[in-house]
Amino acid sequence: MKQQLHTATLANGITVLGEVMPGVESVAVAFHVPAGGILDPPGRCGLATLAGEMSLRGAGGRSSREIVDALDGAGAVWSHGVTATHTTVAAAMIPRQFPEVLSVFADLIRRPDLPADQFEAAQQMVLQSIAGMEDDPAHRALAALRRIHLPSPWGMPTEGSAPDVESATLDDVRAFLGQRMGPSGMIVAIAGRIVWEDVLEHFSRLLGDWPHAAAQPVTTGSRGPFACHIPHDSQQTHVALAWSMPPARSDDSAICRAVLSVLGGGTSSRLFTEVRERRGLCYGVSAGYSSQRDFAMAVCHAGTTAARAQETLDVMLAEIERLPGSLDADELERVKARVTAGLVMQQESTTSRADSLAGQWYHLGRLRTIDEDLARYDRLNVGMLEDWLASQPLRDLSVVSLGPASLEIPGAVPA
Amino acid sequence: MPFLHERLPNGLDVIAETSDAAVSTSVGIFVGTGARDERPGIEGVSHFLEHMVFKGPHGLSADDINRGFDRLGASANAFTSEEETVYHAAVLPRSQDEAVDLLARMMRPALRDEDFITEKKVILEEIRMDDDQPPFGADDRCRAAFFGPHPLAGSVLGSVESIEALGVEAMRDYHRRSYTPGRMVLAASGAVDFPSLIESARKLCGEWGVDSADEFRVAASCPRAAATPGHQRIVRPAALEYVVRMTAGPDEHHPDRWAAWLLTSIVGDGTGSRLYWSLVDSGLAEQATLGHHDFLDAGLFLTQLSCEPEDTDDLLEQILDIYREAMRNGIAPRELERARNQVAGRVALAGERPRRRLFDLGLEWIHHHRYRSVADTLASVEAVTLDDIHRVLAEWPLDSPSATVLAGPAE
Repeated sequence: MKQQLHTATLANGITVLGEVMPGVESVAVAFHVPAGGILDPPGRCGLATLAGEMSLRGAGGRSSREIVDALDGAGAVWSHGVTATHTTVAAAMIPRQFPEVLSVFADLIRRPDLPADQFEAAQQMVLQSIAGMEDDPAHRALAALRRIHLPSPWGMPTEGSAPDVESATLDDVRAFLGQRMGPSGMIVAIAGRIVWEDVLEHFSRLLGDWPHAAAQPVTTGSRGPFACHIPHDSQQTHVALAWSMPPARSDDSAICRAVLSVLGGGTSSRLFTEVRERRGLCYGVSAGYSSQRDFAMAVCHAGTTAARAQETLDVMLAEIERLPGSLDADELERVKARVTAGLVMQQESTTSRADSLAGQWYHLGRLRTIDEDLARYDRLNVGMLEDWLASQPLRDLSVVSLGPASLEIPGAVPA
Repeated sequence: MPFLHERLPNGLDVIAETSDAAVSTSVGIFVGTGARDERPGIEGVSHFLEHMVFKGPHGLSADDINRGFDRLGASANAFTSEEETVYHAAVLPRSQDEAVDLLARMMRPALRDEDFITEKKVILEEIRMDDDQPPFGADDRCRAAFFGPHPLAGSVLGSVESIEALGVEAMRDYHRRSYTPGRMVLAASGAVDFPSLIESARKLCGEWGVDSADEFRVAASCPRAAATPGHQRIVRPAALEYVVRMTAGPDEHHPDRWAAWLLTSIVGDGTGSRLYWSLVDSGLAEQATLGHHDFLDAGLFLTQLSCEPEDTDDLLEQILDIYREAMRNGIAPRELERARNQVAGRVALAGERPRRRLFDLGLEWIHHHRYRSVADTLASVEAVTLDDIHRVLAEWPLDSPSATVLAGPAE
């Protein structure tokens, strides 16, 4: 079945992406506005999140209750969030509710009222959420890993830091939204039972008259130390590793994703086999790929009893080091099968497709069909993966442990 | 979406809901056994057995199983709950037969000693991982206090002590008695080739022995109140205090289960509910929700709160005030309308994905031996009236004496 993909750019810079999916009954929409956590000013870590929360508390003359009642009342499954790079608003619904949901979303991003009497509650809500995340050991370990591995401000926690959120003011929120929330660089993706021309006309009416403002660039700074230990009163120690990888838009990204999938992608992956199945060291262990537009990292994580944490780290490092020269064709075939099934099954979820379109536009500046994506993996062979591994020595390894005692990191060089 | 059903001579039911629009096939084996079926001394065996099933039958190793699923590109996993153990895989339609082959053969695991020893370590890690995370075991402790002598009182994971003491022979015996065709169903959803599914089932499952005569599952009557009401504390270093509170509610057979669902959406959903506006939107609590959980012969209303430790008592009192206000003055028609639309939207969207439908299909069959389409569920939600909700509030008072467990830094 040939995919029906559409793209359009409005005069003010908003990109509208669409996929017509004839087999489904629902429609999903995702707004990605380039107003993410990396734009938090110094001393205001969490401002983008706080601004997002304030937008929900009154927009376009609707109260927060009216906003939530309108979305829930439309039967929409919706979300609002902040990533490192974007503020996102997304929903899935039946097509006839689409105009109502869209008009609420347009208010949220274009016309936040910022009611002063809601500020303290919004601030408290963000602080509660920060406190809740502190109680999740895996989240804390991975947040620390991003912080030491990525250059500033990319590793800062998007949920914010408590002292910064406490000292933020409504004026800070107003200034942030005024400077950052605009059409420049904004992506809207829509997938499902749609008529493209109608959708485009609808978006043009809602967003086309939003005046363009130039986006301000982000200054990337230095990165942290390469290893750290976080004391935590827990039974398990969490071990998290990261190293540098080519970004998603690089020609090599299919190769590096395939290599990571061999390492820790499925239950037949090397980490799962050696760390869990052979030694019973942990419940879950995996390797993943996380990419921004200009850089990317591989991430491995496992949680294990404190007494066995050193062995877990050692086995993980040994498996990473063992990769070059050891790949076999059967492993690569399994990776291809997993990628193929994953891409094909995306077509059953309007939400997955809308997210995928927006992500592709951000990373590549264009859309790839599923067939094109499949071909990128289909052409791979073991020789290509080995050549790539030989040319890419492990770069910038970062290690975090969180638990009762610190671990010994072989060959660690302090920054 | 047509529904298809056939029963093999040994009692195994094979069911499918097919969809022309689907590009994938989901298959699952649902076993009607779980934590409630564990006798004293083998607590946690159902879940441990679920892990051991992935170690393979005679002639297949764990590596063979893992590679087998990955070779199909399958998204395969399993879960164990109080009343069932479920194995599932989502694959491309061309891989249906291979996925069914792997799942079916796994149901007769070799339960090898050496695998048992290694996997026991993984289970102990899972228990410790669970204990390190909010609500720090408060959920298990609360369930034990709420259910008391009822079979649903036990923990799915078991305890470090029960798992350490468990022997492989006890697991083999449990498997023999519980994984019998009359207590199992092979289910499929999406792009299903039903004739081929039946053929696979006959070939792979047709020889499974019939059920033993002994009564496997102990039935119990539906609790009308917490067995051990009162507050318990688990002291932990943590930023927030976590509270789990249980009172009685309608069970799965009760006609008011749909009204109970909508009631919790109105009073305690994660967004847009009464608890949300009073406690979460105001920044007083990180989380404040009310849910309804129903089982074969029990139901409960579950309140979950997380907040600054010093605010806990006040906020628990505020939650009770919100419950009493609903019991006294009822629910407004527009609240019911919002909840109906919200729930209907979630049901309809989930119904679009074969992977999600598989669970509804299999669980409905394993519990009630009946088929319920997405349209049936939507009709049940649509039929709920304000009177139904007010009856639930009157018959299952949310302010009744509860089992409550607090976990966090408060002494």
